[in-house]
Amino acid sequence: MMMLLLPHREEEEEGGAAGRRRFPINDNADLLAEVLGRLDGRSLAVAGCVCRLWSAVGRREAVWEAVCHRHVAVGRAGAAGGTRSVVAALGGYRRLYRLCIGPALDRLAGVRRQGPAVSSSSSAARHVSLSLALSLFSIDCYERLGGVGGRQQQPPASLLFLCKPVDVS
Amino acid sequence: MKREHEDAGRMGGDDPMNMGPEIAKGKMVPVMRTGDEMECGVDELLAALGYKVRASDMADVAQKLAQLEVAMSSDDASHLPQIAADTVHYDPSDLYAWLDSMLSELNAPPCAQLLPPTATASRGNGHSSTAAKPSAAAPPRASALHDFKPVVSAASVGRVVCDTEQQSEKILSPRDPKRMRTCSSSSSSSSAKEVASSLKSATEALPVVVVDTQETGVRLVHALLASAEAVQQENLKAADALLKQISMLAASQSGPMRKVAGYFAEALARRIYRHSPLPQADRVALDLLHSHFYESAPYLKFAHFTANQAILEAFTGFRQVHVIDFGLKQGMQWPALLQALALRPGGPPSFRLTGIGPPQPDNSDALQEVGWKLSMLAESIGIDFHFRGFVASSLADLEPQMLLEPEGKRRDRDGVEEAVAVNSVMELHQLLARPGAMEKVLGTVRALRPRIVTVVEEEANHNGRTFLERFTEALHYYSSMFDSLENGGDSGADGELEEQQRHRAMADAYLGRQICNVVASEGTDRTERHETLGRWRGRMAQAGFEPVHLGSNAFKQASMLLALYAGGDGFRVEEAEGCLTLGWHTRPLIATSAWRVGPAADFAL
Repeated sequence: MMMLLLPHREEEEEGGAAGRRRFPINDNADLLAEVLGRLDGRSLAVAGCVCRLWSAVGRREAVWEAVCHRHVAVGRAGAAGGTRSVVAALGGYRRLYRLCIGPALDRLAGVRRQGPAVSSSSSAARHVSLSLALSLFSIDCYERLGGVGGRQQQPPASLLFLCKPVDVS
Repeated sequence: MKREHEDAGRMGGDDPMNMGPEIAKGKMVPVMRTGDEMECGVDELLAALGYKVRASDMADVAQKLAQLEVAMSSDDASHLPQIAADTVHYDPSDLYAWLDSMLSELNAPPCAQLLPPTATASRGNGHSSTAAKPSAAAPPRASALHDFKPVVSAASVGRVVCDTEQQSEKILSPRDPKRMRTCSSSSSSSSAKEVASSLKSATEALPVVVVDTQETGVRLVHALLASAEAVQQENLKAADALLKQISMLAASQSGPMRKVAGYFAEALARRIYRHSPLPQADRVALDLLHSHFYESAPYLKFAHFTANQAILEAFTGFRQVHVIDFGLKQGMQWPALLQALALRPGGPPSFRLTGIGPPQPDNSDALQEVGWKLSMLAESIGIDFHFRGFVASSLADLEPQMLLEPEGKRRDRDGVEEAVAVNSVMELHQLLARPGAMEKVLGTVRALRPRIVTVVEEEANHNGRTFLERFTEALHYYSSMFDSLENGGDSGADGELEEQQRHRAMADAYLGRQICNVVASEGTDRTERHETLGRWRGRMAQAGFEPVHLGSNAFKQASMLLALYAGGDGFRVEEAEGCLTLGWHTRPLIATSAWRVGPAADFAL
């Protein structure tokens, strides 16, 4: 059981009642959500494997929304409420991260790793903007829509360019 | 032992390799135009034999040969840097630059008669051959060449493929240096001469070695161009003979060059044998190829994103908007615009889309399907969406009244008219096949009084007057295109997903169809009449439109999109007078521009 230890100056002096305060974090799902929302995507996904509670909290849209906003550059301060409903309609923040933002960040990190040989002019472009991610997401969502009469559809592939070969997500 | 140029002149006809080894300084030996009678005599003699070289150049050749001999025989690598410093290095992975340099040398205007003194490519009418051995071997064989008009090609000389560090790659391939072919050269002697003069451009390429694949690649391009020229002159036999050579050479290449050569060879074959043009009927397959091209290369995404940005900016403040798409296809452009409109400050407008598409062979209503999908998406994100589809075999069949509502443009509650945007992604160039169609369509567009017209076109000149001009341009363009697909595509080194390979193969087929159309079709069949951005600008200005600058937002978004592609810095987004182009290395391949109706163009229709 995870414990959240608060610093307490009088640890030795106080006895039973005023002793070190312990906060089992699993008792407070919202607090847990706050903490998890500060992770990056990969760590959050890993955290979802810890236990059922963490898995459930780690799937909350609010948590993934915080993660997404932390990792993308939001251009203009758009209507946050409107964004939420649109993203929910397109499939949710978790899916948005998994399909668009995560792979994009991986791709950019890989490019950065390849060395500082990139020109300075393009380095300004090496981040993901929310509008771009949402555009790609909407295209992917559109591709997944079934056709009329159940005609054979192509598997959605517009985001394949972001995938690494071993990624079979 | 210093060798004089007079010596060289005297020995013009002999094998200059008899000169002793000499370590020359690493600088170019200028051509000495002495008034030596002997030299002129020898020159004339050689010219009479059809060998367009001057004896004074032989000295240069010999010097370089001597250098090479010394360098190769000794293990001391100190000579090599000097030799390497004299040579022109080409990076074998940069296919475009290599091809570009070759073609520019081929087409360079005749200038100072400084002849590249080594490996020659004889290029007469109907044959092409490349000498592996430096042309020191040529004079002794001058007598054997009197059947042809050999032409020295600056471009085909072997090149040092590696730089000074990797000397291990130096291979002098002594095998079969020249492939001799006799063929009737009478009909095109004039063209051979003019090509000869154009090839004798000044070049500092003093090559030392030849590497195999470079040589066959060079031969391949030469064969393609020679074949095209033969076709232009109606010398179909020669063209056909070259085709066989082309297919053989293409087999030795790999990667994009092989594909390009294959498609061009096939197209030439179609033209020569007058096969029926590729069936146009199969729209379903065409759509499929198009969507695969969409997946595998960033060009269409770039086009859509930049056009959407322009449309989005033009629609600010309007509560009713109407987009007319000249080529709806799968409607892949519109989800992103819908999403952007849904999130715009002030809330989404009421959105109407009019999609135009070609008639389907099986009478299925592809347009309605696309409209249905888009409306589902729009509904889920909360946009009031209307759709109308128009089937038209040509854009020239459209009339402005048809496109607007029966009662004209919609008006919102304040009486403000709806904002109309016309979007054309690679559709307009097809109108150039029929005279008058372009003017009619631009007139129709003007009559709609749109807020913005977005035009995306291929940045190439495939509508030149002569066939050879078009062929050469197309070879340039599609080489870059295939190169970018190969190298800019995903992780070629890591191995690709099977799906990606499938996409690539389909994308190749999509481009192959275009190549076939440019090369093999004529008249109204030749619909892939790409033109450059400059010409489109002129055309639009003439039709009464004025340019709208695509803002920095579009540029930023395009750059970000390209940064996500694994091709790294191969793709380049550039801005040119308010238009955005996407290219591969130095070559722009697709251009987006935006227009609005100019103030003076208030022609009533």
